[in-house]
Amino acid sequence: MTPAKRTTLAASALTLGVMASAAFAETTVDFTVAEYSSKTGPFFEEVAAAFEKENPDIDINIEVVPWDTLLQRLTTDIAGGAAPDISIIGTRWLLDFAEQGIAEPVDDYLTPEFKSTFIDTFMAPSVIDGKIMGLPVAASARAMLVNMDLFEQAGAKPPETWDELYDAAQKISTLPDSYGFGLQGKEIETDAYFYYSLWTHGGDILNADGTSGLAAPEAIEAATLYKKMVDEGLTQPSPTNYSREDLFNLFKQGKVGMVFTFPMLIPQIQEEAPDLNYQVMPFPEKAAKATYGVTDTLMVFADSDAKEEAWKFIEFAYKDEWRTKFDHGEGFLPVTKNVAAEDYYKTDKDIAGFAAGLPYAKFAPTIANWEEIADVTVRALQRVYLGQETPEEALTAAAAEINKIRGK
Amino acid sequence: MPPMLKKSLIYWAILSPLVVVILFPFAVMFVTAVRPRDELFVYPPRWGFSEFRWDNFAEMWVKTNFGEALFNSLYVSVLSTALALVLSIPAAYALSRYRFPGKGAYRTFLLMTQMMSPIVLVLGLFRLMVALGMVNNLNSLVLTYAAFNMAFTIWMLQSYFSTIPRDLEEAAWIDGASHFTSLVRIFLPLAVPAMAVTAIFSFINGWNEFVLALTMIRSSDDFTLPVQIYSQVAGRYQVEWHHVMAGTVLATVPVAIVFSWLQKYLIRGMALGAVK
Amino acid sequence: MKSFNGFKPLAMILPGLLLAMFIIGYPVLDLAHTSLQEVSRFGQLRGFTGLDNFAEVFADPLFWGSLERTAIWTVTVVGGTLIISLPIAIILNDDFYGRGIARVIIMLPWAISLTMTAVVWRWALNGRAGLLNATLMDMGLLAEPIEWLAEAQLAFTVEILIGILVSIPFTTTIFLGGLSSLPQDSYEASMVDGATRWDQFRHITLPLMKPFINIAIVLNVIYVFNSLPIIWVMTEGGPANGTDILVTYLYKLAFRFGQIGKASAISLIMFGVLLLFTIIYVALVMRGEKDSAPGEEE
Repeated sequence: MTPAKRTTLAASALTLGVMASAAFAETTVDFTVAEYSSKTGPFFEEVAAAFEKENPDIDINIEVVPWDTLLQRLTTDIAGGAAPDISIIGTRWLLDFAEQGIAEPVDDYLTPEFKSTFIDTFMAPSVIDGKIMGLPVAASARAMLVNMDLFEQAGAKPPETWDELYDAAQKISTLPDSYGFGLQGKEIETDAYFYYSLWTHGGDILNADGTSGLAAPEAIEAATLYKKMVDEGLTQPSPTNYSREDLFNLFKQGKVGMVFTFPMLIPQIQEEAPDLNYQVMPFPEKAAKATYGVTDTLMVFADSDAKEEAWKFIEFAYKDEWRTKFDHGEGFLPVTKNVAAEDYYKTDKDIAGFAAGLPYAKFAPTIANWEEIADVTVRALQRVYLGQETPEEALTAAAAEINKIRGK
Repeated sequence: MPPMLKKSLIYWAILSPLVVVILFPFAVMFVTAVRPRDELFVYPPRWGFSEFRWDNFAEMWVKTNFGEALFNSLYVSVLSTALALVLSIPAAYALSRYRFPGKGAYRTFLLMTQMMSPIVLVLGLFRLMVALGMVNNLNSLVLTYAAFNMAFTIWMLQSYFSTIPRDLEEAAWIDGASHFTSLVRIFLPLAVPAMAVTAIFSFINGWNEFVLALTMIRSSDDFTLPVQIYSQVAGRYQVEWHHVMAGTVLATVPVAIVFSWLQKYLIRGMALGAVK
Repeated sequence: MKSFNGFKPLAMILPGLLLAMFIIGYPVLDLAHTSLQEVSRFGQLRGFTGLDNFAEVFADPLFWGSLERTAIWTVTVVGGTLIISLPIAIILNDDFYGRGIARVIIMLPWAISLTMTAVVWRWALNGRAGLLNATLMDMGLLAEPIEWLAEAQLAFTVEILIGILVSIPFTTTIFLGGLSSLPQDSYEASMVDGATRWDQFRHITLPLMKPFINIAIVLNVIYVFNSLPIIWVMTEGGPANGTDILVTYLYKLAFRFGQIGKASAISLIMFGVLLLFTIIYVALVMRGEKDSAPGEEE
């Protein structure tokens, strides 16, 4: 069959298909769901099925995409003109989507009551230029997890300041096969692991004038401390071989005294290492209290031809019953006030430990080209951990590169 | 010691380091697939485990929709192989038997089609499939795999075909058989080993291909096996390694069976033996 | 039958040709077109900018680093594969006990997708939780676990070794096919003349295998040059770009940083490099082949 014939055949098939669906007067909403765990897909299918029962003329088509390939998938879809109607995205990408005209502002769809159900701290990162470009769909704040058994064995006390952390790490590292402080040096969020220290040392990712804060003395101090701990054997060896998952696995094995992590680790520990004696604590301080708030956004596509229907589905999916199920199941912090008011978030001491950091949570800055900037930071940190450059050299170079990317 | 035994021992001794390195990941896969979940992260890591949790396989099958992914992979691999063969056999025959203008250019073009990795072309391919309305359609993979495999299958087939002497066919022509009859009755049976080996290549490429399947196939019902298994690992906060490994073990089994069945076609002299 | 056969051969090659041209040609043209434009973050073309993208690429030190590493990667993987596969194929071609099993085992790495192979190896290479270190330590070969993927040099070496491992089945099969088509008579005649096995290898096997060795080299170079999964899954081109080859760098540019124009330019450069290699190789090395290939008409 010649290509011409094939195209004609495809075109006729497509036309028939469109006519057929028109005959049923059904609107399809394409929803790209980022996969957090094996529960994510089934959960949204359940929401979709319940919604379709109440709205038989709307069909929700769910596509579950693994996080690692989500940005690639969305890029390809948009480039190919086949973007979905709504999608979960990392809020760190939102500015890029907004600037390119891909994201649809939702202020007009949002009723005041619906808007008031969201916790402001989590809504804020999705607001760009005064317009709400998406709804928070998942959130976490970070905290420190300590292995109480190791602390007891080493005769150390869970630290509240960085100096105390250094001392505790020294003591724990003398125990056989144990490492005081877990340090992540590979792949996604290697930079975030550094920001935890950067913020609590009083520094910031961006200065007030928008230039990179990586060359500031606080940043260099934080990186120098990390490098010192690596050199003195207070961390697991070769941090550049440890991705986030590897580090948490090591903690689950009971080999690490202190690690920075997210609430989603707790259900993992309960299933895979039920005997681990852990405790949730805030990040150690030097000059400030801080934690890292991360949100993911549910975004509507500007080119969508089913916005009304998609919004109807969104309102349905944000009902308390669904939000509760989602947040509990995945281990997230609630983004809506009603769910946050549940007893669970006060009585469950683990979740409460993470939620306690919210008042002073810092978020990744909403700027363009975040992925590229994060990559520069990660590379610089890796060079520091590998001993290829001093913290000052690496961070100053990184700051210069970032300023160039930002056009400053 | 009889010479055959001595030879076998020497050969196995030479092969053994490679065999160990090859089997190592499979052992890791198997051992991880059959252990209970809370033994995944014991320290120090050990080969041993408390019991054979064959349930992992059943759980994995249900949870990851393995059956459907398996069917999708089979569909795509078999059809793309069939399509590639149907298009390649005449082409390879023409290349090995006839002279025609543009032959050199044709061979160069074929080689060039191999040089572009699908990853590099994925945006363009996606746009093409959107234009054809074939996104999320397994047939888009069938067409694409066949197209990318063709250069290789034509090349392979042509090399084999060239080793089949023309005399047999010419003898048949002299006896009054038509070109077509001689092609079917005499040539094809001799070419079976070549076609079998080429079919393996094409089948495996389709079975294991990942990037294009990930891009073209959107809904998880239509995922092929590599994409389905990968989705269990990629970007999740918590990877259920016992299921992942179980899935990979099961995905390997059909191919291993195909191998052991088809490896006899590589026996020396089979092509020539038929000639004699 | 040595005359020009009219349109029959053209008709035989046409369907396949059309499929390839359509499915592969369209994206390549699209790519060339894109590389000459300024491209938005999500692939929307914004306007012709000539060779700006290419200029940016050539000014980028990460590009040159990746190019160098790609050369190292390709040469070592293809070279290593050839050196190992030829003796293996010769052994597997011979008759011995358990040959069938040996063949299946050697082919096994091919049975898993490259991505999954890399995932399994990464799991096994884990410093603290991986079975490789555990096994080596149990066997007394290691005192301390090695962090295989922590540093670029060691990680790259490991990746190259795994690259060789997964290329062996393919290359061995090509060689086996070639070996199985070698005429027995030459060997028998040479034995009558008193040739040793080494003589036979040098003077009969090697020359007759040349076409197959050449195919193996050309195809392996192409596949290995473009191979993403192993390096991507194990180190994503890190740490600090230390294991980045052209195709992993390209992937990051296109799908993480949204620099699709630059990525398209690199794709074309990669294609150009491979094309150049193939043309030179075919011209120099394979020139003698056309005259000696059996069964082909002149």
